[in-house]
Amino acid sequence: MSESIPVYKAVLYSLLLDILQTVLRMIPWSTEPGLYAVGNPDSDSPVVLTCNYDLTVRQVARVLAENDVWLVVAPSSGINVWCAAAGGHFGTHQIVTALKTCGIEAQVNHRRVILPQLSATGVLAREVSKRCGWKVRFGPAYATDLPRYLATGQKNDESMRRVHFRAFERMEMAFAWGFPMALVVVILVAPFRSNWCLPLAILIICTALAIFSLYDRIPSKPGITLSAVITGIALACVWAAGGNIGALLTALIFPGILVALLTFDYPGSTPIAGGAHFEERNWHIVVDAERCRGVFSCFEVCPEACFTKQDNPRFIYHSSPDRCIRCGACIVQCSQDALWFEDEQGQRIEPEQIRRYKLNLLGQRTINTEDQFIKPPV
Amino acid sequence: MSTLALMRWLETTPKRYDKGMHLLTLGRVSSLRDRLVDMAVTGPNCQVLEIGCGTGAVTELLSDRGVEVTAIDQNPAMLELARQRLQNKPDTNITFIECTAAEIDSLPEQSYDAIIASLSLSEMSPSERAFVLHQAALRLKPGGRLVVGDEVRPRISWQRFINLILRAPQALLGWLLVGSISHPIPDLAGELCATGLKVVHEDRWLQDTLAVVTAAKNK
Ligand SMILES: C[S@@+](CC[C@H](N)C(=O)[O-])C[C@H]1O[C@@H](n2cnc3c(N)ncnc32)[C@H](O)[C@@H]1O
Ligand code: SF4
Ligand code: SF4
Repeated sequence: MSESIPVYKAVLYSLLLDILQTVLRMIPWSTEPGLYAVGNPDSDSPVVLTCNYDLTVRQVARVLAENDVWLVVAPSSGINVWCAAAGGHFGTHQIVTALKTCGIEAQVNHRRVILPQLSATGVLAREVSKRCGWKVRFGPAYATDLPRYLATGQKNDESMRRVHFRAFERMEMAFAWGFPMALVVVILVAPFRSNWCLPLAILIICTALAIFSLYDRIPSKPGITLSAVITGIALACVWAAGGNIGALLTALIFPGILVALLTFDYPGSTPIAGGAHFEERNWHIVVDAERCRGVFSCFEVCPEACFTKQDNPRFIYHSSPDRCIRCGACIVQCSQDALWFEDEQGQRIEPEQIRRYKLNLLGQRTINTEDQFIKPPV
Repeated sequence: MSTLALMRWLETTPKRYDKGMHLLTLGRVSSLRDRLVDMAVTGPNCQVLEIGCGTGAVTELLSDRGVEVTAIDQNPAMLELARQRLQNKPDTNITFIECTAAEIDSLPEQSYDAIIASLSLSEMSPSERAFVLHQAALRLKPGGRLVVGDEVRPRISWQRFINLILRAPQALLGWLLVGSISHPIPDLAGELCATGLKVVHEDRWLQDTLAVVTAAKNK
């Protein structure tokens, strides 16, 4: 192994940095793109590629500590895989850039690279191979499954493909939102009422925790229900503490605003809810029976396991449309252009538009507003 | 990161890019572009390669001089604006290619009189930049010029200090206005020399933070 390649060691266990980057994850913390060695890789070792969001790079290096692999960090503007891929910051060009310029080609005698599955909505696998000769395989959705994936002959089973939003992730997200908000509020309030700071910060963090743990479990209008509940709690606390009219009024308005702010982008912050801001157009996935050849790349990359395979004749069913978050990964990867988004009036967004301009409907892509110069055919 | 407001905002950056850049550089970006083109176009019938053409501001200046331009960029939304900007001009000889800068290694060697990179090298990592500059040097004809205009680190220590303090707010502003974070190039002239070219000219603006460096290949 060449001397000049930095070795990524598990020494980088720095819990403090993890916490800091989790609570301030709105800031793009970036690692310098390039080639890193994890363990003691040689010319046959697997090549794993990830984004240059610092927290992710450290996580990947950490879970792989017991393996010998090459880690290629590609430029994604310091944004995490999922958001960068959907937003056009982590796509075919960034992958090609990393593979060609980081020096990996001189280190290995194969040309196979493992990408995070959640990059599938941005990275066009066959285009990468055409442009630089590397064969892309989408690995597990979560870095923690990488050792198992490598140990089991690089096969993704369904549990490795599906995204989830477990208690710990909800907590992380709650702090990612709650902490900066609390910080801003405390800075604004401190000069006038320093004794309000701590209670307000606690209220904000608790609200965020409540929203991220309950949001998808409350039927109908969780924003309003939660606002009411939290406002009630806040009022009760202030009243019990013997607060005056002013304090009671603050307790009445403040939590409502908070909940509104926090729920505003809830779907965009979770991997399990998508497209909340597209309800009015109801875009959905359509499979063209004529074109589908049963290649099953759509099946392989869907993070919500929406598809069911049929083997004879080979065909795919979009069998769980209710779970679909409209990330577009299936459309991007289908070599037959057999998938697209269609709305109730039968209007389509063509696969090519989605590939080129990342016109997926994940979260809130504005595809039918006036101010966007790229418009889908209407 | 996937906040609704920020995503929407960044999504529309290509449209706001030109105004944003003007604001960020306090208008100096125009002098930078003019100088770039002056240094690159040395005669009629020049063949020029532009790396990271963005919305095509430099491409337009080049085409006004009547030279033949190959312009590449990796951002399809930016390229689309560049195409729109130049589509109504008569007699242009421009080829746009959507690709990453590292892919210039598939273009023929010794085939350009000038290669221009305006504000794009500072968006690359050091290893990518080294690769791209090296490949660019190979694509120049003998006597050809590599002309780079970009953000650089000031040479004098007090200016460097001020630059350091202003860095964080500037980076934030840049991210919001033009949707990208650049890293001022520590030693642009040095990196050009490392490719075997000879630095023949250097200009600086804005407290030494913007530079145009011209390097030439031996005849
Ligand atoms: C700040 S803009 C400059 C645009 C234009 N040259 C000007 O002077 O206004 C930088 C451009 O470089 C492009 N760019 C950055 N890195 C690139 C890369 N590795 N390959 C190709 N284009 C790149 C970006 O897409 C963006 O359009
Ligand atoms: S829709 Fe496309 S990717 Fe999916 S099975 Fe059919 S041909 Fe393959
Ligand atoms: S758009 Fe829907 S069906 Fe397609 S990959 Fe994403 S979640 Fe699965």
